[in-house]
Amino acid sequence: MLVRSVSERHAPANESWKPMLGPSVAWYLCVAAFLFATGALGVLLRRNPLIVLLSLEIMLNGGNLALIGYARHLGDGAGQIFAIAVMAIAASEVVVGLGLVVAMNRKHLTLDVDRLNTLRG
Amino acid sequence: MTTGAWICLLSPLLGALLITLGGTRLSRRGAAYLSTASCFVAFAGALVSFAALLGKSGGDRHHVSTAWTWIQAGTYRSGFEVLVDPLSVMMMLIVSGVGALIVAYSIGYMDGDGEERRYFAYMSLFVFSMLLLVQGGNLILLLAGWGMVGLSSYLLIGFWHERPSAIAAAKKAFVMNAIGDAAMALALFLLIQKTGTLSFGALDAVHSSSVANLVALGLLGGAIAKSAQLPLHTWLPDAMEGPTPVSALIHAATMVTAGVYLIVRTHVIFEQAPKVQDLAAGLGAATLLLAGLIALVQVDIKRVIAYSTMSQIGYMFVGVGVGAYANGMFHLMTHAFFKALLFMAAGMVIHALAGEQDMRRMGGLRELMPRVRLAFLIGSLALVGIFPFAGFFSKDSILAAAMDRGAYGYILWVAGLAGTFLTGLYTFRMFYLVFGGERGAFVREHFHELGRGLVVVSMAVPVAVLTVLSVIGGWLQWAPFWHPVETWLQTVAEPLVSPTNWQEAVSSVVALALGLAGMGVAWMVYGARRWAVPSAPFWQRTLERKFYFDELYDTVFYRPAVWTAHALANWVERPLILGSGPEIGTETRDLGGLFARLQTGMIRTYALAIASSLAVLAIVFVAVK
Repeated sequence: MLVRSVSERHAPANESWKPMLGPSVAWYLCVAAFLFATGALGVLLRRNPLIVLLSLEIMLNGGNLALIGYARHLGDGAGQIFAIAVMAIAASEVVVGLGLVVAMNRKHLTLDVDRLNTLRG
Repeated sequence: MTTGAWICLLSPLLGALLITLGGTRLSRRGAAYLSTASCFVAFAGALVSFAALLGKSGGDRHHVSTAWTWIQAGTYRSGFEVLVDPLSVMMMLIVSGVGALIVAYSIGYMDGDGEERRYFAYMSLFVFSMLLLVQGGNLILLLAGWGMVGLSSYLLIGFWHERPSAIAAAKKAFVMNAIGDAAMALALFLLIQKTGTLSFGALDAVHSSSVANLVALGLLGGAIAKSAQLPLHTWLPDAMEGPTPVSALIHAATMVTAGVYLIVRTHVIFEQAPKVQDLAAGLGAATLLLAGLIALVQVDIKRVIAYSTMSQIGYMFVGVGVGAYANGMFHLMTHAFFKALLFMAAGMVIHALAGEQDMRRMGGLRELMPRVRLAFLIGSLALVGIFPFAGFFSKDSILAAAMDRGAYGYILWVAGLAGTFLTGLYTFRMFYLVFGGERGAFVREHFHELGRGLVVVSMAVPVAVLTVLSVIGGWLQWAPFWHPVETWLQTVAEPLVSPTNWQEAVSSVVALALGLAGMGVAWMVYGARRWAVPSAPFWQRTLERKFYFDELYDTVFYRPAVWTAHALANWVERPLILGSGPEIGTETRDLGGLFARLQTGMIRTYALAIASSLAVLAIVFVAVK
């Protein structure tokens, strides 16, 4: 399906395409950037792994919003499909991440990413 | 015809292989018998070839039998082939005949040594190698035999491997011979480049005199190393560390005379390079004098005979150097008889005195070993060249031939005559020291009979045969009257000189007189003891040190080599090679430590690095666009 949609995007003209109603794509991008920056700051500043994971999800959602905004702007389904793929990956990532957090808790490790520095050279 | 030659060549090889493969399944005596039998079969093969050649006319006495193509590369081709011609048959007879007698003698001499199997395998291998050398139908086979006799000689000199001196002597012989082998190989390479083949015919095809000079020089280098001539002679006296039959076979009768054979075999190239041929004669003359002088002060009985061997080979080199090939070969033959005899008689003396070789401890063996004394006396007389013993006929005709070579020949002639005097002196000094005088304390204490039965018989019979040969062997050719050896070798090597009867007569008379004079002086000093041993400390020291040749080589080659090795070890290997290994390791680890500091292990640092890098990239992207 992905392959077909890519080949359709390069088709000469999409007859049924019409500009959508609603705010322009710039607003979507602004919200997406805000979300992304919020998530990034969360990742950089917070030390609790749970909050870090949560912030990561916010970053991914910011990215998804940008993808969907562009998809709507260009009238192309590919962006939406990418967003779905990113969500699937995010779900898997959360599984791993939460699993790690649970494991840390079981080992009675402090839930502080700065204390997890065994890989220091 | 060539069947006999093949049997002659392969029988000793078969003997060596059987003894080697048989191992302990073969008794020690069995190995001795097998080796002796293989050598006698070889002698029979040589006799068959000889008889077949006798039946042919002079021009038809050159036969080559090729077994298979041994080496082929491009247009170059060498077969594994034997050559049957008068020269090779003569050498075959000497090598296998004297060889068989000496191996038979070894049965008794080596009895009870404990490692006879190894000894007899080596002996058979040597006889095979020597036969390969003389029968090889091309120069590359000759070189193969040349190298293999060097190997067998090395193995046999170092046979008593628990003696450090024997090992040192073996190595010395090997290294000295390797120098000669290398020179010879270079000559052969040049020959291949210029003529494209290594058959003996290639020597005729060299037309440039510079090439001829170089090839002849290389071959001469091989010849002087193998034949222990100046300046590559220092290995031979040390080679006496080997068992006495080995000295008799390899270092007297056969291998050391290979240089003479080589020059006769390749005389064509030497005739195109007359200066090199003169050099060969000159080196021979120098060696015969030098060795004769050194022999005067040696106290080890085998070393005296070894120096005498060098001296006699010097005569042969003079002979073939002036172009009297048949005379040189004839002296080679008679020398093989009487020198093997002297060595084996000396071996019996050494055996009877519990292995003692120092002549100062001998003396007074006259009544104890009368028959050995007789054999030794006949060998000595033949060596000095007293009529009617073998040396008289062969040595004097070499001197006469030298006379016929012009002014240079007269120098050689005088040197040869002086050598005759020295020969008489040192030979009979040895004879009187061993057999004359009173029995010393050592003899009284250690003398024992040689044993009974087979041990004595196997030693006595070869000595007896060689005694007879030393008496009658010379009569084969008496230069002015009959010369079958010269006629026999004529088709192989035409002599360059033809001394007149007058020259023969003068040489014989003067040489005989000088030999007798030398014997007389020896009798006065060592026999009757009427004259005191002349005292000349400087000369005595010089001669005992063998003219400082060992010291010279030590200084010129050994010490610089050791010094260079030490210098390289101290200044190159240790600081650079050994030092750089750990150094490289430390440097790498330090550098790694530097970079490792970047790895904080804190996830937020990484995230910040990624984020800031991305920001920088984005700014750059926007700015560039």
